[in-house]
Amino acid sequence: MTPKMLLLPVLLPAVLAVALLLLPRALRLVRDALAVAGAGVLLYYGFLFFSVKDLRYAVPWLGMGIDFDLRLYHFSSFILLALAGFLFLIAVYATVKMKDAPRGREFMAYVFLTAAFANGAALANNFVPLVFFWEGLLVTLYGMIAIGGRPTSGRTAVKALLIAGFCDFSLILGVGLLWSVAGTATMSEIAVEPTGLAAAAFVLMMIGAAGKAGAMPFHTWIPDAAVDAPVTFMAFLPAAFEKLLGIYLLARVSLDFFKLRPGGAMSVLLMIVGAATIVLAVLMALVQKDLKRLLSYHAVSQVGYMILGIGTAVPVGIAGGVFHMINHAMYKSGLFLSAGSVEHRAGTTELKKLGGLRRDMPLTALGFVVCALAISGVWPLNGFVSKEMVFHGALETGYTVFAVAAWIGAIFTFASFLKAGHSVFFGERTTDVPEVKESPAAIVLPILVLAALCVLFGVYNKLPLDRLITPVVAPHAEAGAHLDFTGHALDLFNVVALISVGCLVLAFLIHRHGFLKGGRKAYLASEPFHGLPGIRQAYDLAEKRVFDPYEQGVKALQGLSLALYKAVDRPIDFVFEKAVTAAGEKFTGILKKAHNGHYANYLAWCLAGLVILAGAIGLLAK
Amino acid sequence: MILQTALLAVLVALSVLAIALKDLLRSAIALALASLVLGIVFFRMGAPYAGVFEISVVAGLITVLFILTIALTKSGDEVRESKLANIVFPVVFVAFLAIDALVMKRLMGKVPALARGGEAGTFGEVLWKGRTLDLVGQIAVILAGVFAVLALFRQRDKHE
Amino acid sequence: MIILFVVLPLVVAGLLPLAGKASKRLLPDLLANATLLFLVAYAAVAGRALIADGPVLQQTTWLGEALGIRLVLDGFSLFMLVVVALVGLAASLFSIDYMEHYGAKGNFYALYLVMIAGMNGLVLASDLFAVYVFLEVAAVASYALVAYGLGRDELEAAFKYLMLSVVASAFLVGGIAVVYGMTGGLDFAAVAMALKELNAGPALAVASALFLLGFGLKAALIPFHAWLPDAHPSAPAPISAVLSGLLIKVSGVYALTRVFLNVFGLTPALSTVLLWLGAVSAVAAAFLALGQKDIKRMLAYSSISQVGYVVLAIGVGTPLGIAGGLFHLFNHALAKGLLFLTSGSVQRATGTRDLDAMGGLAKRMPVTAATNLVGALSIAGVPPLNGFWSKLIIIVALVQAGHPVFAAVAVLASVLTLWYYLLMQRKAFFGRLNETWAAVREAPFWMTASTVLLALLCVGIGILFASTVTTWVRPAADVLADGIHAVAGSWGF
Repeated sequence: MTPKMLLLPVLLPAVLAVALLLLPRALRLVRDALAVAGAGVLLYYGFLFFSVKDLRYAVPWLGMGIDFDLRLYHFSSFILLALAGFLFLIAVYATVKMKDAPRGREFMAYVFLTAAFANGAALANNFVPLVFFWEGLLVTLYGMIAIGGRPTSGRTAVKALLIAGFCDFSLILGVGLLWSVAGTATMSEIAVEPTGLAAAAFVLMMIGAAGKAGAMPFHTWIPDAAVDAPVTFMAFLPAAFEKLLGIYLLARVSLDFFKLRPGGAMSVLLMIVGAATIVLAVLMALVQKDLKRLLSYHAVSQVGYMILGIGTAVPVGIAGGVFHMINHAMYKSGLFLSAGSVEHRAGTTELKKLGGLRRDMPLTALGFVVCALAISGVWPLNGFVSKEMVFHGALETGYTVFAVAAWIGAIFTFASFLKAGHSVFFGERTTDVPEVKESPAAIVLPILVLAALCVLFGVYNKLPLDRLITPVVAPHAEAGAHLDFTGHALDLFNVVALISVGCLVLAFLIHRHGFLKGGRKAYLASEPFHGLPGIRQAYDLAEKRVFDPYEQGVKALQGLSLALYKAVDRPIDFVFEKAVTAAGEKFTGILKKAHNGHYANYLAWCLAGLVILAGAIGLLAK
Repeated sequence: MILQTALLAVLVALSVLAIALKDLLRSAIALALASLVLGIVFFRMGAPYAGVFEISVVAGLITVLFILTIALTKSGDEVRESKLANIVFPVVFVAFLAIDALVMKRLMGKVPALARGGEAGTFGEVLWKGRTLDLVGQIAVILAGVFAVLALFRQRDKHE
Repeated sequence: MIILFVVLPLVVAGLLPLAGKASKRLLPDLLANATLLFLVAYAAVAGRALIADGPVLQQTTWLGEALGIRLVLDGFSLFMLVVVALVGLAASLFSIDYMEHYGAKGNFYALYLVMIAGMNGLVLASDLFAVYVFLEVAAVASYALVAYGLGRDELEAAFKYLMLSVVASAFLVGGIAVVYGMTGGLDFAAVAMALKELNAGPALAVASALFLLGFGLKAALIPFHAWLPDAHPSAPAPISAVLSGLLIKVSGVYALTRVFLNVFGLTPALSTVLLWLGAVSAVAAAFLALGQKDIKRMLAYSSISQVGYVVLAIGVGTPLGIAGGLFHLFNHALAKGLLFLTSGSVQRATGTRDLDAMGGLAKRMPVTAATNLVGALSIAGVPPLNGFWSKLIIIVALVQAGHPVFAAVAVLASVLTLWYYLLMQRKAFFGRLNETWAAVREAPFWMTASTVLLALLCVGIGILFASTVTTWVRPAADVLADGIHAVAGSWGF
């Protein structure tokens, strides 16, 4: 295995993307086969790279510290493997789900292009290639939402691109600052204390990384995209790829580039972001009436656990955050894929119209239930393990409030999944949906694979914790510290675990109460909570996007643009405009008005400008 | 020296008149007079070629063109302007003169005076030997002018 | 034979009206495009070899006697020559089909080539007065070209442009006079050396202010920008492309940087002024672009914003900043040229420039939509397109030079740019097809071909950015980063 091989995960998907785009519609079967085979090859190499673990490919590029530098080590090989795994499952799934989509061919091409950029970003060891690959993801993000085919798809795509663009530009700014502080752009050589200018760099890079992962307040495009974009896209980008990359970078930023101290200002900042994201997003998720929108809010909420975990800066918390990242990618992807399966057969994902699908679609239902239990943190699934680790980490820092926030999140997560699962797969059949069949194998298999992995990573958590997570955290723990995260992984009889279980019971009671109160209609189960005084008003405002920084920002900026145009540009133009009409009338007779005061004014303007400039330069020169 | 200063003052005054006068004909005549004074200044400062060009081309030919154009263009109604707009130029101009008078003398005193007549030789020699590139530029400007006239006064194509 | 860059277009321009008499279309098309193609090839292929051993100084002789024509080709001028030739060629290819309706093609190309000759002359000139003369050559030709459509708007815009431009020229002559008075020379090398000896701070400040005002007007930096949003949209599309893509850069940015960096030397004071001018232009014009409904006006404001970007980067004065600024100049020339050309295709097809009246044109004009998207994303700085790299370099350079606030401003301008270009793309090309345009067809061959050429360049340079920067941009940036030594040492005749 030569260092040049590292180009393969970048170049192969890029070439495949072009090939997929060029293959005509008639050769759909060839296209699908090519996509699945290509993803398979990448997965194979993912395992291969994972076994190698140490490889570096660096060629000088521009000089001045800018090199094309790819580095494979345990963390990036882990991310690479995970990316390849999801790519494979999505490729299989898309062969059926995107078959009749109007622009399925473009979708496939975008998927592989995304994979190329994502692999590059995971491997990059110099900031410039990192930023390049990172920003490249913007294009495919925009493209995949824009081809959603709904009237508002274009609008949502612009929104997503702008929010992501904002985060990416913050990242660039942060990279620039860090670069000047550290004096090098080679990522593996950077380790600075987050103080002063470096603290600003940290915050900026954090915005870039957390924004990619979809943390608050950079999440608002995700629920919109859940409606406007193909559901496969949701399982692919916001659920899996963006979480993996965002959290990967966040971990690199807070562990490698900056030395985060437990209890330090930056650590607390991260925990606040994490806790706020958990609670606020899960409250939004609770009252959603559409399965895809509900899932999308959870995709935001769960990021909070990862950020909180990494933000604790204690080994068990970090390990929990990173473990939660891979777990979340699996079950959230599985959930979105199940939602897609339901949509594929039933034609809708509105909770109100669905019900009792477990008899028609038993395998989808099974996958959904396992993944839903996993995300809710039910023993002995993987979500339980990683959440416990985050709870422990949060408690270890001494800030109990963050652990409480995480538990509140756990309550409402389970409550909302009880509502969702109950509405869709259990209860009575509704008349809105005719008799349906189980989805084809290509749709069901990826769901079941993901569900099985959720069980595996939960029950046999030693495997991922020892093989994947410990090597990531090991260099950041104190030397000689005992690093075994499997100790209380599935242990039920400690205070933390008992509180967690209590939360689940509480969630069940909330759901039951709402279910009974709503006339035994599961989709109304969250209404009692929704109807509490003060809360309804807050939700209404949220629905009107009052809390959406993007929408408010758009309004404010448009106002500013108008104000500038009216207050600055037009007055300047007035002087010039009058100058012209006046002069124009004089010499060419285009306009039949004879006045000349304004050209003189224009000259006056220039004379004044001259004096000011000369004065300014003269003064500055002194 | 006094005569020189007086000539320059007249030049500035005439130029301001050319801009500020409302009547186009008077404005054009003020411009012509300004060019004439400038020509005289050129002569006095030992630049006869520049003086000749200034007087013959700018004061003579261009003024004739202006007056012809103005005669051909019918004058329209006067447009009323706000008083404010009319005082901007005088105010700024006076302020500029004041700053100029205050600063320039001191400023120029700091710059060493140049030796007079660095490039000797006749006008033709200077232009041909020293500044041939400018001739190329002049040719290009004239070409541009001719093409501009051709283009702007062309017959439009029939289909339009 | 670097004088060919000036003389060849002039000679061909002289022949073109005659050629236009002989054949209305074919011969002018062929002659003009062949000339520009030759210039591209000459600059891109032979140019590098010419300057391999330092700058080329050419003293022209006439019948064995030395003439006063001294041209200099160094990294910076070669870079600009390549930019001018490339964008010039694309716009003139576009004109083959686009200018069909305007008539008198021979005259059009003649003016066009005079403008190109003026720009090339400016770039090769080695003294201040020659800079002024060639500035005027390009300007006079461009007045006529803006008015070429002969409509009321065009004439008015051309007039406005003319009047404001004349003031800029007056300031430049004033600046040149002050410098001549101080140093007794006009040659870049002579002036640079004399200024170094002379300790004339305040007088130099006056000269700097005069030049800054003159070149600032030419480059349309805010607050000297008001002529541009009228003049550029009114011109025929290929001319808009050249005005925005080339003229403001050559007669504004090139002249400004050459004079300030190589002749005067960049003092901290000048650097501060340039940074502020650039930053204000970049952000304010981006805001103004956001509010436009007219596609070409939006592009015009965007030009102001991007020139601000370039000036901001050059104002930093570090090698990396200058390289970023020049690279951005190059990228912006290509992309903005491309965007004005596609907007011309749209205007020709629909007859309107109003973004609200368009919609869904991608279905009717797929190639135009795709190339427009490439141009828009390139300027907005989205990878893997060329504009991304230059913006990245600029931001990094700003941070490294200790201007994090200006870097943040640059980032803000980037986000705004991304926004209004997406707005434009969505309103014009995406969404539901407006019924009015059901019969619209894709632009004719040469129009699409030239836009595809530019789009491919944008993508290609984005992918091969490293080699582009090392081959073309770095030599140019090195000349500027050398400051007055680049001129004072090696440019003597």
